[in-house]
Amino acid sequence: MNLPMIRYILSQIMRIEGAFMLLPCIVALCYGEKEGVIYLITAAALIAIGMIGCAFKPSNTMIYMKEGCISTALSWILLSVCGSIPFVITGEIPSFVDALFETVSGFTTTGASILPDVESLTHTSLFWRSFTHWLGGMGVLVFLLAVIPMSGGSNINLMRAESPGPSVGKLVPKIGATARILYKIYLAMTVVEIVFLLAGGMPVFDSLCLSFGTAGTGGFGIKSDSFASYSAYTQWVVAIFMLLFGINFNAYYYILMHQIKRAFTMEEVKAYLAMIASAVAVIFISIADKYEHAFTALTHAFFQVTSITSSTGYASADFDLWPTIAKYVLVIMMFVGACAGSTGGGFKVSRILILLKTIRKELSSYIHPKIVRKVNMDGKPVEHDVIRAINVYLITFVSVLMVSVFVLAIEGYDLESTFTAVLACLNNIGPGLSLVGPTCNYGFLSSLSKFILMFDMLAGRLELFPMLILFHPNLYKGAIEAARRRKSIG
Amino acid sequence: MRDKRKSAPQGLNIIIVGAGKVGYNLVEQLSREGHDITIIDQDPVRIQDITNLYDVMGYVGNGASYTTQKEAGIADADLIIAVTDSDELNLLCCTIARQFEGCASIARVRTPDYSREVGYLREKLGLALIINPELEAAREMARVLYLPTALEVNSFAHGQAEMVKFKIPEGNILDGMSVAQLGADITNDILICGVERGGEVNIPSGNFVLKAGDLISVVSTRKGSKYFLNAVGFNTKQVKNAMLVGGGRSAYYLAEQLLHAGISVKIIEKDRERCEKLTTLLPRAIIINGDGSNPDLLKEEGIEEAEAFVPMTGIDEENVVLTLHAKQVSKAKIITKINRLGFSNVFNNMDLGSVIYPKYITSETIIAYVRARTAASGSKIETLYHLFDMRAEAIEFKVTEESEVTGIPLRDLKLRSNLLISFIFREGQLIIPTGGDIIRTNDTVMIVTTNTGFNDIKDILK
Repeated sequence: MNLPMIRYILSQIMRIEGAFMLLPCIVALCYGEKEGVIYLITAAALIAIGMIGCAFKPSNTMIYMKEGCISTALSWILLSVCGSIPFVITGEIPSFVDALFETVSGFTTTGASILPDVESLTHTSLFWRSFTHWLGGMGVLVFLLAVIPMSGGSNINLMRAESPGPSVGKLVPKIGATARILYKIYLAMTVVEIVFLLAGGMPVFDSLCLSFGTAGTGGFGIKSDSFASYSAYTQWVVAIFMLLFGINFNAYYYILMHQIKRAFTMEEVKAYLAMIASAVAVIFISIADKYEHAFTALTHAFFQVTSITSSTGYASADFDLWPTIAKYVLVIMMFVGACAGSTGGGFKVSRILILLKTIRKELSSYIHPKIVRKVNMDGKPVEHDVIRAINVYLITFVSVLMVSVFVLAIEGYDLESTFTAVLACLNNIGPGLSLVGPTCNYGFLSSLSKFILMFDMLAGRLELFPMLILFHPNLYKGAIEAARRRKSIG
Repeated sequence: MRDKRKSAPQGLNIIIVGAGKVGYNLVEQLSREGHDITIIDQDPVRIQDITNLYDVMGYVGNGASYTTQKEAGIADADLIIAVTDSDELNLLCCTIARQFEGCASIARVRTPDYSREVGYLREKLGLALIINPELEAAREMARVLYLPTALEVNSFAHGQAEMVKFKIPEGNILDGMSVAQLGADITNDILICGVERGGEVNIPSGNFVLKAGDLISVVSTRKGSKYFLNAVGFNTKQVKNAMLVGGGRSAYYLAEQLLHAGISVKIIEKDRERCEKLTTLLPRAIIINGDGSNPDLLKEEGIEEAEAFVPMTGIDEENVVLTLHAKQVSKAKIITKINRLGFSNVFNNMDLGSVIYPKYITSETIIAYVRARTAASGSKIETLYHLFDMRAEAIEFKVTEESEVTGIPLRDLKLRSNLLISFIFREGQLIIPTGGDIIRTNDTVMIVTTNTGFNDIKDILK
């Protein structure tokens, strides 16, 4: 295994995180908060350590699948640990486990919080908390690929491990250019949202934080009641942007390339939009009598569906009080999630689509036992390998879900809370139902449960395997042997 | 339209059709030179492999289909290179791509039926270049057999100049001689442009001292190099007969060349039908139907007396074994043809003598073309060779207009290090340059360098 290269990538990640941590320092300056000093010191330390680690570029820059997965998983763990330091030192979240949970939840764009009172945080910390969403949404390694010229084509393995979706394609031949295009689209859309929110009369600080949360499909609010107290205009703007950030970014690239037709013929996008429309319709009908105006009901239905489907997790109303059918539709949407290649989480629409198509294929093979048929997606046959990988993904997903629910069940809370807590974390949504509903938080859980949920969040964000591979014994055998050999030579 | 694209400094948009061995090699080299590459192949596994390894975009589909080409972005492409197994498919790819303005096309065409009509095809189908690796490999082998002392012979300036690579044997007068001394004592008409010693490649200066065991590359006119080799005690007569094992396309091309030069040729081929075809194509050659990897048959057919022995079967391992066998039983000049590139380090350490890699030859030609396209103006790359297992490059520029390098004595030019101006070819005259010579327009200038990525003659300056 190429350990020097993993070390190099991790150092780069620290350096980048350090640089981004300077942003909350600016916020601290604006609001005159002394916590900014702590952020500044942490940032300086991260940059310094990163610089030392980057000083020696490894001669062998080859990254195979294995190295790609491991460095991605380790990067995200490192990112979370380093990102939680300021929360602990400033004393705003004194428990390290809680601070780590909050940061993991931020970077994985889950938005599950342990804070009972969000409004008691300083502006600096609120900003940093929301900014982790933005950075985690598109992925920090993709950012690394965008800004740092890395030679060799094997870097696709880094991007593959971090980007959501069953198969990762490039937009243009060079990976660096692809990453830059993605970040440009991402940044531009974020800026547009900020402008729309400002136009609705929202303060600058709020619109920045909320836009970061929407763009990364995160869901950390800056008010205790999440979105309930904002105007209908704001709710619609945010809901529409949540919808947009859940769409495969390839579609935006096609639109930029003036291939608008191609963007709207993407099966995944069509399915995503159709799914949202039907979910909104069902929920609207079931809750229409609960609200005075039909428009309010529609706003809440649309806001909640886009929020859950895109895996953001903002709440405009306490959907825990809604009828069972509405809650059940939301749980389905939690499971399905957003499009592949978006910033959203979940099982991904394209995977579900392919799996549903295999059902049809299987059925027709019962009628015509010798039929030869391939599953098509966007008019192209899906390779058998991709289908196999999706099947394995499904069973892995279910296994992780089951084991996590089991561990949480030991604590003895009701099944609805336990199950939706895991589901909401694994799919990077945030709020679940009942005890972990939109008005509650995760603070009451034991440390063990929190660690399990942190693992679920990371696994969900990185599409399971990069995190699971860390537990594969063969990985360490090789590394330990190599270390021993080096020692015996030296 | 073309000019607008050229101003983009980051390289060309290139589409390669066919992810076979040549396609692979092209992807490796062209992506290293910074071009944006899309590769199309029907086989998703090959595409997967190649995109895992190199920073290129893969596309699964039929490269000759209009839809596939369009989706792979041919509208913005500068160049399409068709290197699938099938000549017809390659030509079709390029014909389809022709309707997109500004996209030049290169096709690989190997069948002898077409190769005689290359000029016609190129003109009628509007191709930029037609490459035939088998024919090029045969030409290179033939050049070595004309001058069997050499390990490698590359030709420049339309055959007027050549670069000869050979090994200095023990006890040769060159052993212990400095480059400057060589110029004074033996001949001034040659130039040593590269020396490989112990795996290191040097571009020697005047006080560099040669040693036995060095591999040296010398540039001169044809006559000049013969004179020089004679003077330092090498045999320069061409071989009288040659034995080829395997009767594939390159064997045919080689036999044709050798027969033309009056060398008698014997081809051993397993397949009866192929033998019959060969004997119709090459009535003057002796065609033997038998297994060339059988030592008894080789002995019967006189491997011991053969002056040249060229194993050119499709299987590298067999070629290497045959080479090693021939080294033991005969004094013949041996050229080994290696098709696969992955193990070149192994073959380099085996001391096989002359080794020819047809795949390299293809990519050299294409890279020369691509670099010439990338160059701003003022000069054009005519030929490009990779020397010493790709650690050095020999590039021939045609200087077409005045620039910073023309009209100034060479000694006043601030040249990059590890670079040598090997010759200037002007109005049919080959000039081995000294400090006082100048480069003029319409000259052809050849340089040797261990740097890489030269597109323009101006790149020789610091």
